[in-house]
Amino acid sequence: MSETPKRVLLVDDDVSLRASLSANLELEGFEVLEAASAREALSILERESVDVVLTDIRMPERSGVQLFHDLKARFPDIPVVLMTAFTREEERFSAIDRGAYSVLSKPFPTERAVSTLMRALRKPAVLVVDDLDSQASTMAAALESVGLRAQTATDAASAETLVRAGIADVCIVDLVMPTVNGVELLERLRRIDPSIVVLVVTGYDVPDLVRAAAARGAFLCMRKPVEMQALIRQIATARSSA
Amino acid sequence: MTARTPAASAAFERRVRAVFDRHYDRVARRTDRMFAYLMLGTWVASIGLSIWFSPSAWAGKNAVLHAHVYAAIFLGGAITALPVALAFLQPGRPSTRHVIACGQVLWSALLIHLSGGRIETHFHVFGSLAILAFYRDWKVLVLPTLLVAVDHFVRGLFWPESVYGIVTPEWWRFLEHAGWVVFIDVFLFMNCAQSHRDLWEISRSEVEKEDSREQLVRVERLAAIGQLAASVGHELRNPLAAIRNAHTYVEKKVARAPAADPKVVQLLDIMQRELDAAGKIITNLLEFSRPRDPVRTLVPLRPLVQESISIVPERTDVTIVNDVPDDLPVPEIDKDQIRQVFVNLIQNAVEAIPTERPGRVVVRARGGGAESWIVEVADDGSGIDDEALEKIFHPLFSTKVKGTGLGLAVVTAMVERHGATLSVQSHVGTGTTFTLVLPATARADAAAAE
Repeated sequence: MSETPKRVLLVDDDVSLRASLSANLELEGFEVLEAASAREALSILERESVDVVLTDIRMPERSGVQLFHDLKARFPDIPVVLMTAFTREEERFSAIDRGAYSVLSKPFPTERAVSTLMRALRKPAVLVVDDLDSQASTMAAALESVGLRAQTATDAASAETLVRAGIADVCIVDLVMPTVNGVELLERLRRIDPSIVVLVVTGYDVPDLVRAAAARGAFLCMRKPVEMQALIRQIATARSSA
Repeated sequence: MTARTPAASAAFERRVRAVFDRHYDRVARRTDRMFAYLMLGTWVASIGLSIWFSPSAWAGKNAVLHAHVYAAIFLGGAITALPVALAFLQPGRPSTRHVIACGQVLWSALLIHLSGGRIETHFHVFGSLAILAFYRDWKVLVLPTLLVAVDHFVRGLFWPESVYGIVTPEWWRFLEHAGWVVFIDVFLFMNCAQSHRDLWEISRSEVEKEDSREQLVRVERLAAIGQLAASVGHELRNPLAAIRNAHTYVEKKVARAPAADPKVVQLLDIMQRELDAAGKIITNLLEFSRPRDPVRTLVPLRPLVQESISIVPERTDVTIVNDVPDDLPVPEIDKDQIRQVFVNLIQNAVEAIPTERPGRVVVRARGGGAESWIVEVADDGSGIDDEALEKIFHPLFSTKVKGTGLGLAVVTAMVERHGATLSVQSHVGTGTTFTLVLPATARADAAAAE
């Protein structure tokens, strides 16, 4: 990392986990503030400026999800990444469905935490590419309604421009589009930004394009009409899986 | 498992037969004993009766016992000896009951003769056949019926008074007697068949009851284990995460400033490996106790199989072949779950090949789209015997030294949540094939969405 180190607020009631994770994050160039509870985290945020919050979900008193909601109300610009040792889906999804950046499953390799935090720090948007503006806008509006950032593009050129500008880390690309199809666009976008996650969607039965997209590194392919909740959960999964 | 494997249903039938045999053996032994006492009683009674009705006569100066008394003692004894001996020495055997059946109607013949062909004594034949139906085996009735017929016919020809009590019976007397015997036989046959069937049904339901009792115990045990596993698993994940982090930190520090002792690096590697193994077991336990619904996306199968193959630990002497056609229709499945299914099946297949010889694992697929996808994972390993095959999908069953017995159980739950089925076929010595059948895509016009 360059110049001023990024400040992470690490919230976990488990002291061993806090100590070991912060050691690693510091080793990777972050500046780490530690809090043992949601309350302590909020009081730190009153005093200090923080770039990103990494919080455990299950904690005594206020949970990480509740902390996320507090932060959303009081510090909407700070991205929040959650982590949990529990597999209860309701727990994970209660934050994701309301726009949490991602949820890391413990135990996770440090690199995954680092890459997820780095992505979150960019406060990136989800770019929706569809030749039909109405489709793109509807999807973007749905994403924004849960608190995610979203952008739209109706052709390959504008999509490439936006990705080149670094505004997005996730792209939702319609497979069947005139002139430049989804597979070709996927290739171009990944050439511009190899770390970009591309989710392709299609309303047609186009197995050849689906196979081609999968072969060229599409994160997944969903059939239209896309269920928004499933899509949002997939975006969160994609953001912590790279 | 939704579908009982062929081996499992064969095993089920075998168990039903075993229970039936046990029940039938009891019936046969009981009936054998009953006949033994019946015949001994008949013998004693016939001697008594013959003395009573055919007392001694005077031959010259000597009182001589009537021939009937000798017949009762010696002929009766001869008829009784073998069946009674068999009933006590070889109870339950088919040969025993056939001998008893013959002995019983020979007694009828003797009694008819001793009573001078009294028509009422002929009832003994019907009584005997009815009692023989206690065996619940129509075959037991065949020999005595033939014996009665032959006896009546032959004696009717050469010694009619011994069987009909008169010297010149009407020509149709034999037919009338035979007709009555056949008449009662028909109903006794039906009775035997019916009680035979009933015994089968009883045996079948006993085995089923036993199965459902076992199933219940298993389900209860699993629920308890599942709860315990879930809480222990979760509790272990936090410390595991901390150890992992600590390990990562130490490893990086050591990489930057190599330790003097090369064992440090080696031990760090071991820690890493064992942490991964522990994490995997916990994940399995949690997946088992809390299965999640599949999140379906369009996933081409061939690359997924390829990816799965790359995850399976390599064994140099085992070739894994991805024979899935590239142009197979694309199913909508939960990628992570079905990959786990493939990894599990392929890894099992690789491990099924004995370490002392090379082997081959082939993944094939066909169908798809409007019809079901059929994916097979076949190995040429040592195969699975019927007994193990029956339990292979049961949780906590494992033949591996280091197996938790959860792999296939977790996989099965995932398969079922996809509405798919997983079955297995195996021959000891030639190998095993697991078959995954994914249901056909049923959807309206896909283009309507665009």
